[in-house]
Amino acid sequence: MLFNSLEYIIFLPVVFFIYWAVFNKKLQTQNWFLLIASYFFYGFWDWRFLFLILASTIVDFFVGQRIHSSSTARNKKSWLWLSILFNVGLLGFFKYFNFFIDSWIDLASIFGYTIHSTWTLKIILPVGISFYTFQTMSYSFDIYHKKITPTRDFISFATFVSFFPQLVAGPIERASNLLPQILNKRTFNYLQAVEGLKLILWGFFKKLVIADALAPLVDDIFANYSQYSPSTLIMGVFFFSFQIYGDFSGYSDIAIGTAKLFGIELSPNFKFPYFSRNIAEFWRRWHISLSRWFRDYLYIPLGGSKVNRWISIRNVFIIFLVSGFWHGANWTFIIWGGIHALLFLPLLLTNNNRTYLSSTIAEKTILPSLKELFQILTTFILVTFSWIFFRASSLTHAWAYLKAIFSNDIVLKYAHPSGYRMIDYFIIIILFVMYEYCIRKDERVPFDFKSRYFRFLIYAILLLAILLFYDDQIDRSFIYFQF
Amino acid sequence: MKKLLKKSIVYGFLLIIALEILVRIFHLGKDNPTRYLDQYGVEKWEPNQHGFSVTGNRKQNFSEYKINSSGFNSYREFTPTKDKIEIAIVGDSFIEGFHQDYFNSIGKKVENALPETEVYEYGYAGYDMADQLHLIHKYKEQFDVIDHVVIYIKFSDDLTRGSYNIVRDRLALESPLNKALKKSKLLVYSKSIGVFAPIKQLITKSINSIKGNNTKHITQNNSNTNINKNKKYIDNFKSLITTYGYDKDRFVLLLDSKIASPDFIVYLKENNFDFIDFSEAFQSSNQPNTLIYDQHWNNHGRDIIASLISEYINHK
Repeated sequence: MLFNSLEYIIFLPVVFFIYWAVFNKKLQTQNWFLLIASYFFYGFWDWRFLFLILASTIVDFFVGQRIHSSSTARNKKSWLWLSILFNVGLLGFFKYFNFFIDSWIDLASIFGYTIHSTWTLKIILPVGISFYTFQTMSYSFDIYHKKITPTRDFISFATFVSFFPQLVAGPIERASNLLPQILNKRTFNYLQAVEGLKLILWGFFKKLVIADALAPLVDDIFANYSQYSPSTLIMGVFFFSFQIYGDFSGYSDIAIGTAKLFGIELSPNFKFPYFSRNIAEFWRRWHISLSRWFRDYLYIPLGGSKVNRWISIRNVFIIFLVSGFWHGANWTFIIWGGIHALLFLPLLLTNNNRTYLSSTIAEKTILPSLKELFQILTTFILVTFSWIFFRASSLTHAWAYLKAIFSNDIVLKYAHPSGYRMIDYFIIIILFVMYEYCIRKDERVPFDFKSRYFRFLIYAILLLAILLFYDDQIDRSFIYFQF
Repeated sequence: MKKLLKKSIVYGFLLIIALEILVRIFHLGKDNPTRYLDQYGVEKWEPNQHGFSVTGNRKQNFSEYKINSSGFNSYREFTPTKDKIEIAIVGDSFIEGFHQDYFNSIGKKVENALPETEVYEYGYAGYDMADQLHLIHKYKEQFDVIDHVVIYIKFSDDLTRGSYNIVRDRLALESPLNKALKKSKLLVYSKSIGVFAPIKQLITKSINSIKGNNTKHITQNNSNTNINKNKKYIDNFKSLITTYGYDKDRFVLLLDSKIASPDFIVYLKENNFDFIDFSEAFQSSNQPNTLIYDQHWNNHGRDIIASLISEYINHK
């Protein structure tokens, strides 16, 4: 079920009202109901894959208890490895099996061997598998590192794994944040619910207006890149920067907002990443829950930056390459991760990777300084360049796209494939960036204005924008669902 | 919880009003002229209306219409006499031309090409051959003094009936409920951009899943159905001209032979029906002939149609 589908618009209020009106008396009934609603939400897409979620839930539920009760470090480690192997095994089979087979065939062909494989399978990628497997693994990791104690309440644990707002595309929650909230009875909080509704509106705006409006343009330019001039190709990847941001951060806002409606606070996932002053700051603001996951469960166990220089460089490459690979079974994602590792490296070597830990641009002023402006633009251009690899269907495609950008053709006018006015898209992006700049200090409250009339005006304008850019002909699924 | 519910209802209501105002300020929704059935049972627009037609989201196409005293969209009144040269163009929404400014229609373009000629556009969205011949038949006195009558038909859509009867579904759009709903520009705009399409799809999907789907059966019989359909459409054409009359000396069909049945074209040729075929002119054109947002002819397409009609009249 997509957040932006009619089914969800019916599903959400129904579940919300039943949850608070019928099942608000006892914790057990609250969790039972949330679990059933979450399984219905996921099963609406394909019920068969519910068994995978259930399997992952059962394995980590029991592994967590075993890790906790094991008396020796060796036993604890063995149980942890069972969790890792099971979850990574699920991912490996459903997401990466064909990739490894195809890559093996390609490698063999380089050395002159022709292999006709009968091994590649017609595998459907279960939606959200990368997200919930990472979430359940984090539970086992946290128990292993004694950050939490395992729960004995299976229903609550299953609710933690499958909580529908964040089940299919995150934020990837830590057991230490989400599980205690699931294990305690929620009471209705008016202000929290209102905050949730506001975030949902903001998320819908980002998805329906920014991402969905730009999607047909990006699809057209990337598919027909050989017919377009360099200026159009640059515009295509510039639009993709905003499309993917609107799509994924919009999804996260709707997820966080929906969770608030049920009395649950999810972790932040985006903090205005395009206002970052360097790549390190970008990764503290983009897909935060994934960055933190890799930092805590991969980078730090590998030694992080507190090891000798060469090991720490290796560690940076490992987390960026693995992070890239996590996004999809394609070399393009690995190269994308590699580019970010290369961009991160100078900051690590000059000890500037922790320069902007919590500050925002123009923190005490209205406008950013020239230096900040230069930094933001440079970071944005570098990130945008890397998106070419992320968006391209293959390395050949990405390389051809890049080559076409540097061809000598003149600037040619681009027309929307459906004939819409192009100026509308530039205006909406400029207004969106200006608005995001105004609210840049706190991503959790997109409408933090004192005047209720002004707030109301903003709501009306956002809804009007949704109507202005609504297009019933386009594919409205979320980009990150494929990961 | 109650507070949230109450406030949501109030906010929702106020937001709908605010959106209605904004949609009206920016004129995003189209105006809907009123249709009616005249004393002869001919469906047309109520005379002397005026408004604007809007297509696509963000007002991609914006044009003015003006319904004359005869109930059709035209800059001129229809006053045929024996003394003048008049051309009538009868057709559906392509001739009606709500997607263009009424003063830049095909008729006006023909008049520019043929000075001292008056062109009357009897266009009405949804008209098929039965509607068209029934109109000509009922307004016989008026049409008898018109020198040339051009009838636009689309083979696949306009020959589905062998006789005229009132299309109740179309007139149902004038029901009190529909009229009341059409007063909300927000609803009109939302409907036109497909906001309600998912609701319709969901309902259709639910009904189909309850009833069970017969798609396979339909697909298997597809080729046979097409042959039968073509034959039926030609029979309908014969039936219509027999019932309502067809003056081969003055009447000419305007059609696209590429989308018509070859059998129909052969039939027209064998029986000496004049027709203006615009398929070749459209195909050889180096510019798009239709609007981007809908299937209607754009200004260039209308230029081609007008020039083909003018050429035909000149040669006649």
